Amino acid sequence: MLSTRALVRGLQAGLWRRVSTSTGALAAHAHASAVDVIDCSVPQYNNRLDTPLPDIPFITNLTPEQKTLKEKEKDAWTNLTKEEKLALYRLSFELSYAEMKKGSDEWKTVLAGIFFFLGFTGVLVWWQRIYVYGDVPHTLSPEWVEKQTQRMIDMRVNPVHGFSHKWDYEKKQWK
Amino acid sequence: MAHPSQLGFQDAASPVMEELLHFHDHALMIVFLISTLVLYIIVAMVSTKLTNKYILDSQEIEIVWTILPAVILILIALPSLRILYLMDEINDPHLTVKAMGHQWYWSYEYTDYEDLGFDSYMIPTQDLTPGQFRLLETDHRMVVPMESPIRVLVSAEDVLHSWAVPALGVKNSRRPRTPKPNSLYCLPPWSILWTVLWNLWCQPQFYTNCSSSRPTSTFRKLILPHAW
Repeated sequence: MLSTRALVRGLQAGLWRRVSTSTGALAAHAHASAVDVIDCSVPQYNNRLDTPLPDIPFITNLTPEQKTLKEKEKDAWTNLTKEEKLALYRLSFELSYAEMKKGSDEWKTVLAGIFFFLGFTGVLVWWQRIYVYGDVPHTLSPEWVEKQTQRMIDMRVNPVHGFSHKWDYEKKQWK
Repeated sequence: MAHPSQLGFQDAASPVMEELLHFHDHALMIVFLISTLVLYIIVAMVSTKLTNKYILDSQEIEIVWTILPAVILILIALPSLRILYLMDEINDPHLTVKAMGHQWYWSYEYTDYEDLGFDSYMIPTQDLTPGQFRLLETDHRMVVPMESPIRVLVSAEDVLHSWAVPALGVKNSRRPRTPKPNSLYCLPPWSILWTVLWNLWCQPQFYTNCSSSRPTSTFRKLILPHAW
């Protein structure tokens, strides 16, 4: 028991902090989340249009073939074939600029969803108008509206900019 | 009165309402200017392909966008206060009318020369004659002379009521037993018609039947000083 306590003490003092913050140990925890644990205290790779040269290359653990390719890169580049140059590019970068700028088709899904819900709301409004609303007041019948309009014209309702302004009193018609 | 699907104010029938219309134009123009500027900035920010990665501080623009809104607010507040004090002027009224709010009708008293008082009920929709305005007509109207300063004392008998004439720019909400004077001045009509109708409203004050009390007022041309 004393030895385990000394072991824990030694681990805490010595390498526990290094071990516990290494990505391997962090990844080994079952966080049950979809987000990868990112250690922001070390340089990271990123695909951004405004950083042409990220801090580290995309692939850092090279296979033996990739290592020989990297050695060949140290010679004159004119000796590299087109496929080798492309392979070297893909070692350093995950996405090319064209791939970064390409975008996606998500906007079509978004627009379709907007139209769908607009239509659904329209169906609800129409159904409500047919099955829920009562009758409009009888004062909205055409005969009533005609008499009412004539009365408004006679009363000079809003004669400066509004209603009666649009009626020509000499010619007895709308302007 | 308002015509169907009207969005803006009714034409002004008093000098104060004219001032309010001009002030509304002024304030709305400022609102449009600010909104257009913000919309332009938003569109410009969203649609640019450039990124500024090294911006650190921005003290000059922060000074500008603090001082400029303060200036704009002063430009809104000065005309607003001017109209506010204009509305409170009392200018030797020719007539005093008392408007008392009940549930749900208005009663008017003209006590300057004789004891005249009457109730004014809104005509229900089913009792209207063809051509009358729904929810706006009343059986007895408040008749007052035109082109004369009038004092209206608004009070309430029971609950909170509000006496308003949109075309004159007048609104007065009153609790019971707390009368307050309102100055009206109606400009002459734009025609030879000498009986014109402006509609007053009881503004909804949290009571469901409140819209059924509709004071209507008629402004008559003052032909003779004593008989109108």
